Amino acid sequence: MNNRLLILLIAAIGSYLLALSASAAYPQLKFSVANIESPVFQTKSIEVQIGSSQSGARELIIAIEEIAVQDYVLKELRVVCRAFQWNRHEIECTNGQLIARDLFASPLPMQFVATPSHLTVDLRPSGGEHWQFSIEWDAALWHAALTVKAGKMTHLARWLPEMPDNENFPKLTGGKLHGKIKVNGDLKGVTSAGIDLSIDALAFSDAAGMHAGEDIALSVKSNIEHDARHQHWKWRGDMHWRQGAVFWQPLFFSGTDYALKMQGVFDGKTLALHDGQLALAEIGTVKFSGVADWPNAKMREFQLDAGNMALPALFDQVLKPFLADTVFAELEISGLGDFAVVMQEGVLQEVNLTLEDVNIIDRRDRFAFHRIQAHIPWQAANTTIADISLLDGHLLRIPLGSVRVPLEIKDSHLYVPQLALPVLDGVLKLEDFSAAHTDAGWRWGFGGKLTPVSMEALTEALQIQPMHGILSAYIPQVHYDGESVSVDGVLQVNVFDGSVVIHQLKLIEPMGLAPHLTADIAMRNLDLGLLTSAFSFGKVEGRVDIDVNQLELANWKPIHFDAHMFSSPGSYTRRISQAAIRNISALGGEGAVVAIQRSFLRFFEEFRYAEIGWRCALRFDVCYMGGIEPEPDSRYTLIKGGGIPAINVMGYNRDVGWQELISRLQRVTQENEPVIQ
Amino acid sequence: MVSRFYNVLIFMALALAPLAGLAEANLEINTPAIASLKQSMQSRHAQLVEHYNSGAVGLTRDGMVAVRDANAVPLAQRQAVNALVSAENQDRAALYREIARANNHPEWESKIRATFGQRWVNLARSGWWYQADGSVWKQK
Repeated sequence: MNNRLLILLIAAIGSYLLALSASAAYPQLKFSVANIESPVFQTKSIEVQIGSSQSGARELIIAIEEIAVQDYVLKELRVVCRAFQWNRHEIECTNGQLIARDLFASPLPMQFVATPSHLTVDLRPSGGEHWQFSIEWDAALWHAALTVKAGKMTHLARWLPEMPDNENFPKLTGGKLHGKIKVNGDLKGVTSAGIDLSIDALAFSDAAGMHAGEDIALSVKSNIEHDARHQHWKWRGDMHWRQGAVFWQPLFFSGTDYALKMQGVFDGKTLALHDGQLALAEIGTVKFSGVADWPNAKMREFQLDAGNMALPALFDQVLKPFLADTVFAELEISGLGDFAVVMQEGVLQEVNLTLEDVNIIDRRDRFAFHRIQAHIPWQAANTTIADISLLDGHLLRIPLGSVRVPLEIKDSHLYVPQLALPVLDGVLKLEDFSAAHTDAGWRWGFGGKLTPVSMEALTEALQIQPMHGILSAYIPQVHYDGESVSVDGVLQVNVFDGSVVIHQLKLIEPMGLAPHLTADIAMRNLDLGLLTSAFSFGKVEGRVDIDVNQLELANWKPIHFDAHMFSSPGSYTRRISQAAIRNISALGGEGAVVAIQRSFLRFFEEFRYAEIGWRCALRFDVCYMGGIEPEPDSRYTLIKGGGIPAINVMGYNRDVGWQELISRLQRVTQENEPVIQ
Repeated sequence: MVSRFYNVLIFMALALAPLAGLAEANLEINTPAIASLKQSMQSRHAQLVEHYNSGAVGLTRDGMVAVRDANAVPLAQRQAVNALVSAENQDRAALYREIARANNHPEWESKIRATFGQRWVNLARSGWWYQADGSVWKQK
């Protein structure tokens, strides 16, 4: 049945009832309409009956078996009117009840007025709540309107569209509606519609409370109009978020004055969005547009452009919740950013990110990067070059200089052919840095070298014991496999005028809560003068080799190694100061010091030695010590004298708690400032 | 090997007993990583207790914690509780891995995790929620 017939039917019912006004005071009448179908709604079985109630009073009963609007169905609607009057022009029900169990638990007071060209229904479910539905029609046009005052949103819950996993989807739990919905039409169907609604105290939640909103106030204005000439619909929607809070795991929004504006056209097959704008207070405005197929909602084209976004608010409100428990969770960001995205056929085609004068600072002071300028383009089909520069910064307190990064991007692969990063008075040169994102996460690798850095400057920056000399390193291929950083080959470091070669270096879960580092280290020809003066240990001249095998650090603290320090082969000056002997002895006991003080040797400031040796096998927190030779006795030789004057230093403690040993070392080095040499 | 596994487990459970509100035990595992994780969990425990008490957070069968009923937490605090649970689970996962590693048996991790799940429930206070068989939440 088309709309014309529907209107005729409504008019017929009205006219028929009006015609009864001329008949007896208590007529018995039963009028039935089987089905009404229109593009907007369908009904099944309408019965209109006028008769007497059990008490003898007259009553008008309208029973509708089913009303369906699109996919929503209301069953068993019934209007019982016990105070009504009619005349030639209208029927008015002043005391009626609407029984609609799908919508309201109990019958609602209602009133209605019907004329041959007009129907108005008033519902007052409770208190100040008022829903008024009205429709007017003539031979060609009709106009319907729903006016709501303080309407409870929960009445609308069943009319909301079904969502995937609807059981767990948030449900409306509160909210009041004010405003008007208007629909206009002709005999062919709807020609235009408009919404002007204000919603207060809106609340929703899923069962677990992980997606919920409270105290939301917003205004919605929308209209849609049929353009007969172009055979499409023009639509527009504006939403103003006045206040409210939403937790949508893991995001939490609480704010005022967000505005969403959209407009476009719809031709029945395609929904086009033009000039969409989302204005986020304190962040900026996001512009977007797109085209989607209807009704499968498949996005064919989508463009998003967010310019001059205030990064501090964007980070705190949007990005930070996703970075919890990462090294980036406690960032302080300032500056502006532009972000643009292009999608086609649901596939990302192009992304452009621009940063202007951005500062990124870790609140725990682990790193900071200042004055970042970046233009990072990405295209699905092409290789692009990103230009990233920073003025200065620091990483783990080590100052970084100005650097410019030419980053090649292809699909999910990144490549930097060469990068020279100023580090203190040296330069860290990285070569062939490549990174790729795979299903198992990020993988990356690089090689490079560190040109000489002054140890004075480095130790000052690290705020540790001052050291002298230079540090330089050759970095072979380093790669990350998603869990561990490994070095293929050996890492070579030059320090204390000697060399350090690190084999089998592996860092497991470097960004995890309990990173492990394993390595074998061979140090050769270290200058003991530089080494001991660095630690205020007392002057020792000579050179040593140190092997540290099967080293394992857990959480950057040693739990296992086999260390062996011994005099380097070759000819060089071998002298040790009395202060150094005193300190070495203090690590294992007072015996040697007492011997010096009681003998004539106390008159000498320095002694010659032939060899120095020390061993420590660390197992969890115990260091099993030894000396130059792996002697089985309870005592062992740490320093073997040679020449005149000469002295032997023996050790007597085989097992020392690692923490106790560290504490003793710290005491020795702290107590020795200034060092007596 | 089996008996050593349970020795380690009991040792650890006793060492961590203060986290569950019991009297403090003197036993500790002395690897730096485990000590650091234990300290991190202990400092967070005070914040989690109120959510265990309210039923917002419960103990899962696999030795982790989960947001059981976010409705027990004011809306504005749910994000923080979520982050708290996430951080606790990261510590717990790292703890089980470290115990297995420290004993040179990385393959024990899943066993340690499952047995710790039961142990945490035993140590839980009355009124706290835990996941029973079939992942059904029950109140102790």
